[in-house]
Amino acid sequence: MFIAISLDEDLDAARFCAREETTVPLTYPVLIDRDHAWAEAYGVNNVPTTIWIDEEDRIVRPPAMAPADDKFIEFTKISADIHHEALRAWVAEDIAPMADAEIQGRRTGPDPQLQLARAERRLAMHLLRAGREELGHAHLDRALELAPDDWTIQRGSLPVRGKDPFGQDFFDFYERWEAAGRPGYES
Amino acid sequence: MTVTLVLGGGAREVAGETRDGAVLVTPDALHDATGWELKPQGLCRGDVCVPTHALDGVVVDDLVDVAAFGAALRRPVAVEPAAGLAVFAESPEDLAAAIAGGLAPAFTLPDLDGNPVSLADFAGKKKLLLAWSSW
Repeated sequence: MFIAISLDEDLDAARFCAREETTVPLTYPVLIDRDHAWAEAYGVNNVPTTIWIDEEDRIVRPPAMAPADDKFIEFTKISADIHHEALRAWVAEDIAPMADAEIQGRRTGPDPQLQLARAERRLAMHLLRAGREELGHAHLDRALELAPDDWTIQRGSLPVRGKDPFGQDFFDFYERWEAAGRPGYES
Repeated sequence: MTVTLVLGGGAREVAGETRDGAVLVTPDALHDATGWELKPQGLCRGDVCVPTHALDGVVVDDLVDVAAFGAALRRPVAVEPAAGLAVFAESPEDLAAAIAGGLAPAFTLPDLDGNPVSLADFAGKKKLLLAWSSW
């Protein structure tokens, strides 16, 4: 079962992407995690991220960056084939994609500062949705300060800040994050 | 007077007020929202108590300062007194505990049409969750 979960603040953008801007028929559920509460619970801090869950609801592959193809491999440095082959083996032959020890090794909680940033972001979005622009952006700025390397907060905030998530502001973030050693990024 | 607390994905209006740059709620409201109860010995939930001497600035004239409460209990919270609004995130410890057993945390989220969908709807199947966005 394939389930897509959007982290968009702008619900129309999410609907447009899922329904119009895709060549794949919409035969699967598309859910909305506007407050990032699901992302927080699952340890998701970027897109596209996949999580594999077996028939008994055990996580057999923790959150990992999983590009659908190699279009951005220069940036992601992750080949789509790794996941595609493992996925076929898991679905068709029940071959576990990851050893238990590695799953446990990746099971780390977030740091307190990231959680504070998430609270500030969530507060900012509540204020912005209510039209409290000045207050909302003040709290969003605080979230950005607290989580300089978190993609979901940094890149995910660009649209509500009136900036292009594929433009110069994104590349500035990308360069800073790469210089910091690509933190929080696993395939 | 009321203020708004946001936690666990839902917003609730509770008895409280804003004063001197702080968001304050009544102990009853705090108890209802968070499970933490103000007792003579401190703030308690179940068998766990944070003693009064560790609650510096938390209790203000029979009300609870939400930001100070968050700091004392290591619970991330952001407050905006000008909007009477306090928003919690989960504590790192609670998040770590929720995934410690290796099971996927339960969730319910709206689909594109607003209909609720839960992980439990797909019980007994292999599931591939994909987090994505337009950005």
